Amino acid sequence: MRRMSPIRRIAETARSHEEGVWQVAGRVAVLLPLAALVFAVSVLAVKAYPAIRVNGWGFLTGTKWTYGGGYALPVHTDGVAHPQGSSFGALTIITGTLQSSAIALIIAVPVSIGAAFALTERLPTWLSRPLGFAIEVLAGIPSVVIGLWGLLTLGPILSRDVYPIIGNHMPDVPVLDFFRGTPAATGQGLFTAGLVLGLMIIPIIASTTRDLFNQVPPLPKEGASALGMTEWEVANKITIPWVRSGIIGASVLGLGRALGETVAVALVSGSAIHFAPNIFGQMTTIAATILTQLDGAQTDGTGFAVATLAELALVLAVISVLVNLAAGVIIRRTSALVPSVGPT
Amino acid sequence: MAVSVRKPDMRRRTIAGLLFRVGTYLALLLVVGPALWVLIGVVVRAVPHWQWSVLTTPTKGTTGGLENAIIGTLILMFGVLIIAGSTGVMAGIYLSELAKPRRNGKPSGGLFRTASDVLSGFPSIVLGYCGYVALVVGLGWGFSLLPALIILSIMVVPYIAKSTESALRQVPNNYREGAAALGMSKGYSLRKVVLRSAIPGIVTGLLLALAIACGETAPLIYTASFTDAIPSASLIHSQGFAYLTYPVFTFYNQPAPEAHYLAYDAALLLVIIVLILLVSSRLIVARTQRHSESQGR
Amino acid sequence: MRMPRVKRMAPACLLATSVALMFSAAFAGSAGASKSAVETPSGGTVSETGSTLLYPLFNLWSSGYSEKYPSVTIQTAGTGSGTGITDATEGTANIGASDAYLPPSDLETTPTLLNIPLAISAQLVTYNITGVTAHLKLTGKVISNIYQGKITNWNNSAISGLNPGVTLPSLPIVTLHRSDSSGDTFLFSSFLSDTDPNGWGKTVGFNTSLTFPNAPGALGEMGNSGMVAGCKATPGCIAYVGISYLTQALQSGLSYASLQNGDKQFVLPAAASIAAEAAAFTKKTPANGTISLIYGKAKGGYPIINYEYAIVNDKQSSSSTAKNIRSVLEWAVNSADGNNPTYLAQVNFQALPASVAAQSLKQIKNIK
Repeated sequence: MRRMSPIRRIAETARSHEEGVWQVAGRVAVLLPLAALVFAVSVLAVKAYPAIRVNGWGFLTGTKWTYGGGYALPVHTDGVAHPQGSSFGALTIITGTLQSSAIALIIAVPVSIGAAFALTERLPTWLSRPLGFAIEVLAGIPSVVIGLWGLLTLGPILSRDVYPIIGNHMPDVPVLDFFRGTPAATGQGLFTAGLVLGLMIIPIIASTTRDLFNQVPPLPKEGASALGMTEWEVANKITIPWVRSGIIGASVLGLGRALGETVAVALVSGSAIHFAPNIFGQMTTIAATILTQLDGAQTDGTGFAVATLAELALVLAVISVLVNLAAGVIIRRTSALVPSVGPT
Repeated sequence: MAVSVRKPDMRRRTIAGLLFRVGTYLALLLVVGPALWVLIGVVVRAVPHWQWSVLTTPTKGTTGGLENAIIGTLILMFGVLIIAGSTGVMAGIYLSELAKPRRNGKPSGGLFRTASDVLSGFPSIVLGYCGYVALVVGLGWGFSLLPALIILSIMVVPYIAKSTESALRQVPNNYREGAAALGMSKGYSLRKVVLRSAIPGIVTGLLLALAIACGETAPLIYTASFTDAIPSASLIHSQGFAYLTYPVFTFYNQPAPEAHYLAYDAALLLVIIVLILLVSSRLIVARTQRHSESQGR
Repeated sequence: MRMPRVKRMAPACLLATSVALMFSAAFAGSAGASKSAVETPSGGTVSETGSTLLYPLFNLWSSGYSEKYPSVTIQTAGTGSGTGITDATEGTANIGASDAYLPPSDLETTPTLLNIPLAISAQLVTYNITGVTAHLKLTGKVISNIYQGKITNWNNSAISGLNPGVTLPSLPIVTLHRSDSSGDTFLFSSFLSDTDPNGWGKTVGFNTSLTFPNAPGALGEMGNSGMVAGCKATPGCIAYVGISYLTQALQSGLSYASLQNGDKQFVLPAAASIAAEAAAFTKKTPANGTISLIYGKAKGGYPIINYEYAIVNDKQSSSSTAKNIRSVLEWAVNSADGNNPTYLAQVNFQALPASVAAQSLKQIKNIK
């Protein structure tokens, strides 16, 4: 029998067991992100442990965030060294994170669905191709560039021409009075942060939604039109429910990006560690706080400031998990009602 | 009688339909407008001071050109394509084609999905800092290419896996059934039939992920730092590695106007690289589609 | 009252000083031999990361040094002081550049770290008030009250009282602070703590990262350029920026304040006033360089200046690396080389006083 080179033999074996090879490679690939997450979370947990012990539950409920006198001699609590007078309550930061991401989602989901609808159902191909390209362009612009644009160009214009219209004319009643207020001249604040975040997650949601709309078979839509449904009713009753779970899945991915986005938010949020008094007020998010404070935290020789930022990152991870679980519940409820295609 | 009830109802429905139509166009405008606005803003700032020597000279502190950063960014993107691309595409294939549904009929890989959603929600700087603690210092690799590649890849694998999976789910099931009926093994039909039809979606996802990767700053500062040197062949111990987002952010924060010009140039170059990527992906997609269609007929 | 900080951290200073003394005693022979000369390096790479304020100067030094000693490449990166300190501690960079001296906690965990003064910088307090181009006279106490939200309009009598003859409009004050942690925030908050010890000093304090009081409309900006751009866009703003951004600030239409020093004079930042302030602290500068140069009593001294530091681990991985680092730093503090105005003036920095430079040199010799 002809002798095969080892490589050739491996190749032959691989071909004859092709499905098995795919299975093994696929399993390894699926495990890698899990391993990466375990790696990141364990590095953080080790770093954060002293902070979790000292900060306690007050970390989630407190609103006072101060590094204390880093240049005074450190003090010890429960055997953990930390700067004198340091006190960390992250409720304002957590609130700012949720607020800005919520605004981003409220803006991005309808805009993404609308744009995807216009691209797939309304416009001729010669027009929808180049316009659809804009979605990918938006996704490709580095976040630091979008952040600088938000700070230097978009923010000042909104603050001068748009925000006063809202801020001065909203009725002074509960809930709506959150929209009353005077914006900063640079536009830095919750609204701009949410808007810029929204812009950054639109590509994620819109590109998936567009693909999903393309998968909806034409027959049900045509049938609905034949029954006299208007365009809106076809979209609302047929097309969107058909792909609802896919849209929710894409929205969750977008929400993840919004929760974790750093540079752009740090630039346009005003980075204030307190509750935004109104929608134009300055605030900050977990990711922006970590970005802006990590450098200074490293000057704290006790390591407590870095530990606290690691704890903050863990809180964000927990928020992400909760958001995911919630999305899973929503998807399960909706997909029980309608047939579904697309990623979940 | 029935007609008089229907009439106002019909008008309401027509108006709703009209509003919806206007709304979709407005939504599209809200996507296209800012994208163009940002692009034009970058061009307007960069072009007046543009010098071609930027392409052929490395940075010298906050002056000089961007040659080292351009090469570095291209290498990073290539590396991410290899590491994250292979992992992400394989993970997507597994989730869509290979994983057996669990007994209760739900698709498997739920843990993976949660993990990748959480990963994609991690602030990039946190992953960068983990990379610093574990790879740069822990394993003693120093500021270099490999830790940067690993961290960037971890960041974008979830996007690639998700887009691959959804591209594969768009492939009609009768392709798979047809292949099976022809006696193809599952692996062979996957390679020759299913994957081929999913290529456009997979490529788009890959390129978006690459675009996200090459636009990151914070994780790279903690894993690659920066250097004026042209990137060398070494994966570790290179004492710094250059990339384009560093000049955008750091040079913008410098007092000298020349540094600002370089920051704008770097932003322009990043945007151009992304545009080239996107256009070429469109061309690839168009070609494969034409190819597969002509084969199919 | 002045410099309460030095007193508070005395034990740590003592510890660090005695460590430094031990080392200088051990290596006294070699330290004395080549006092002002720059060693010839053994060749290779010296990496520097850290302060973005020192970054442009280090770049100028890098090219100047390499002209004389082409066998050494200096790699620089502006990453922020804290990262520079960590890099120097972990050995991922040879030199960490920092605007602030090391806190005692850092010296406690890593006693082998040196902070070596390299040059002197200063800080501007800038503002953008429509129609006012004059240099406003401001005291630290007034600025402290502005940043605490107690003074909220430019026409407040506390400000106009200091500035007779200047017509101040009724314009709400918008305080800008750095959102990223920064040596600039450290200097600014040190100045407010020293001038308003019972107010700012007690409630806010000083640090590189600070939670600023909730003054109406207070805005956080990233980086000195962010401060300048934000102030330009916001009539009524007040901001603090490093003196190397003077040209950028003026081009953006900002003016800067004349600040009251410990001698109760109002002084503008300039080469002479920075040198005068530095001279007052020369004798007090301890061997390990940890001292704040804020709010001195010097006649005609500008009250917000600081040493820019190189943070270096005195135990390097190899003797040739140590030699390269020594050579670079010796060159940098040498008045004929790195501390020459040809380099410093480009970023509005000032040279180290001779005796401080000699102390730095002594510390440099301890890098082994």
